[in-house]
Amino acid sequence: MASERYSFSLTTFSPSGKLVQIEYALAAVAAGAPSVGIKASNGIVLATENKHKSILYEEHSVFKVEMITKHIGMVYSGMGPDYRLLVKRARKMAQQYQLVYNEPIPTAQLVQRVAMVMQEYTQSGGVRPFGVSLLICGWDEGKPYLFQCDPSGAYFAWKATAMGKNFINGKTFLEKRYSEDLELDDAVHTAILTLKEGFEGQMTADNIEIGICDAEGFRRLDPSSVKDYLANIP
Amino acid sequence: MSILAYNGGAIIAMKGKNCVAIASDKRFGIQAQTLSCNFDKIFEMGPHLYIALPGLATDTQTVQQKLKFRLNLYELRENRRIHPKAFASMVSNLLYERRFGPFFVEPVIAGLDPKTFEPFVCNLDLIGCPNIPEDFVVGGTCSEQLYGMCEALWKPDLLPDELFETISQALLNAVDRDAMSGWGARVYIIEKDKIVVKELKTRMD
Amino acid sequence: MALAELCGFDKTFNFNGVPKDMGADIDENFFTGNFVSHTALALPPFPDPAENLQKFSVDESGKQLKIKFDHGTTTLGFQYQGGVVLAVDSRATGGQYIGSQTMKKIVEINDYLLGTLAGGAADCVYWDRVLAKQCRMYELRNRERISVAAASKLMANMVYNYKGMGLSMGMMICGWDKRGPGLYYVDSEGTRTAGKVFSVGSGSVYAFGVLDSGYRWDLTDEEAYDLGRRAIYHATHRDAYSGGIVRVYHMRSTGWIHISNEDCKDIHYKFVEEKENAVAGASV
Repeated sequence: MASERYSFSLTTFSPSGKLVQIEYALAAVAAGAPSVGIKASNGIVLATENKHKSILYEEHSVFKVEMITKHIGMVYSGMGPDYRLLVKRARKMAQQYQLVYNEPIPTAQLVQRVAMVMQEYTQSGGVRPFGVSLLICGWDEGKPYLFQCDPSGAYFAWKATAMGKNFINGKTFLEKRYSEDLELDDAVHTAILTLKEGFEGQMTADNIEIGICDAEGFRRLDPSSVKDYLANIP
Repeated sequence: MSILAYNGGAIIAMKGKNCVAIASDKRFGIQAQTLSCNFDKIFEMGPHLYIALPGLATDTQTVQQKLKFRLNLYELRENRRIHPKAFASMVSNLLYERRFGPFFVEPVIAGLDPKTFEPFVCNLDLIGCPNIPEDFVVGGTCSEQLYGMCEALWKPDLLPDELFETISQALLNAVDRDAMSGWGARVYIIEKDKIVVKELKTRMD
Repeated sequence: MALAELCGFDKTFNFNGVPKDMGADIDENFFTGNFVSHTALALPPFPDPAENLQKFSVDESGKQLKIKFDHGTTTLGFQYQGGVVLAVDSRATGGQYIGSQTMKKIVEINDYLLGTLAGGAADCVYWDRVLAKQCRMYELRNRERISVAAASKLMANMVYNYKGMGLSMGMMICGWDKRGPGLYYVDSEGTRTAGKVFSVGSGSVYAFGVLDSGYRWDLTDEEAYDLGRRAIYHATHRDAYSGGIVRVYHMRSTGWIHISNEDCKDIHYKFVEEKENAVAGASV
């Protein structure tokens, strides 16, 4: 392939005007574990698959759904180590904002700043783009927010979306199921159903992770609550 | 003589019922020599947000410009008006950056919340320690006199015209006991849908 | 007297040369020498006070120690065909604090003598009081009024005794005697000089600006009063340490008369109005 000639360099334009490194990064995301985000009228839900390769693995030790500030949470599809660096940066930027303005960072601001970091990694020397897409949810001044942030630094505001393996099917499913006046509990239900669409094997409280965000702030659901939701799934 | 008193100047800000007022004298001098009787120390930072910067005149202007720069960037970045509290925090950070070589200004902030129109007043020392009281704040070369006048005249829930009378009397009588301030005065009364600016007739000595 | 003993002075140490055997009122007179002799102030208990006092005016780091007392003034006086006009402001400041806006800075020594005060308020008031007494004593002894020259020299000589010890005063003494009108400048450094036009104090530079441009020998009385008033007003406007009331006095062959006391605020807005009318008149 002609584009292979550029693969060894850092993010550099190919003659056709593509940045193939970014396309590869997106490919890494599309190959990663699926995650889903849905905005409801009274909150937002983030859900993701967290499968383990061995039965020896200690569950509920390393998490994919993370809190950034009291009112903002994040999940990813793609490469775990890249994600953790972004979590660290996002938390730092949120605290920095709190320090300067003495008020919590608006979700849109955090997304903008995280996106800026991701963009920097597409243009700087000696680095590669992040192999993750993020879903960032937040609650400010009485309103829910849901954003997706890609390796290119592009970001989008969604009512509901899916990323990672099978994301096209996931999105089609959400388009059918989504309605504006969804309640948070129903949104959690829909999110689980969306994950279940391409799920291989039995879905349990140990191989999915769910985070919700509402006026109370962001929290990761513990396995017993996830189990309760799963009990209502046919 | 303190560098803070090199150019002279006096400021008050007061809370009223659904309104705030901020007032300043207009003197610009070099020690005892009065050079101008029309020197602005109060700056508009938004539709309901004002900051006064009494102290060394060169720093008054520099700090005003630096704040406007940061505020413009904030408003473009966030696409919204700043909350007076967040603004106070911004000022505090700007001043503390210069902890070991400070700007010689003691800012006074007055404004209304952009959403709820809750009154807000605040002052900071020259390295950015904020003070957010429920009644009034003062600054400048005759702060003792200003505190005295404010303690005596201020009452809760003053209406805009009462607030104007109170803040004007407080300022006028305080600067009349201070050699470094006076020579004209200006008062801003800030209400939800009205901002009134009034010039006061003062002693000119 | 514990401190004095601690310092090694015995009980009979004499601070200022007052006789030791004064009987019952020894305590009263021991420290207050000027009750008996007005020009004999208590001096610090060491030799050569003028020089050694300097050592006490700086702190351990060599910084000047400041004793804050009332300061800052504008006063002026000038001779013209109708006599002498004195004009002064009335502000007393301690640092940047305005202690008084109604101080009397012209002292009426007697019907034919006036003194102005600038500098340390206490110094001026005290020594003017002593001068008034000396002048009255002269009058009683000699059955005629003291000349302005003599009065001013009395003052200069009295304060000269304390030169270098921190007295701070710059005064004008004006009067009318056998030789006609007289105007002298006397200060705590020992200067004594006669002259036609003087201005003293922190605002004097501004006052001189007006005074010199408007001064003529053949000024009428009203013109002279107005010139003095304007000069003081402009000084109060520019000088932070001058202000309050502009007081004008006139010394004539029949003694002094008080002309006016006008508030600076009234004068300012009167002048503003005059200026506006002049501009309006010019543009018509």
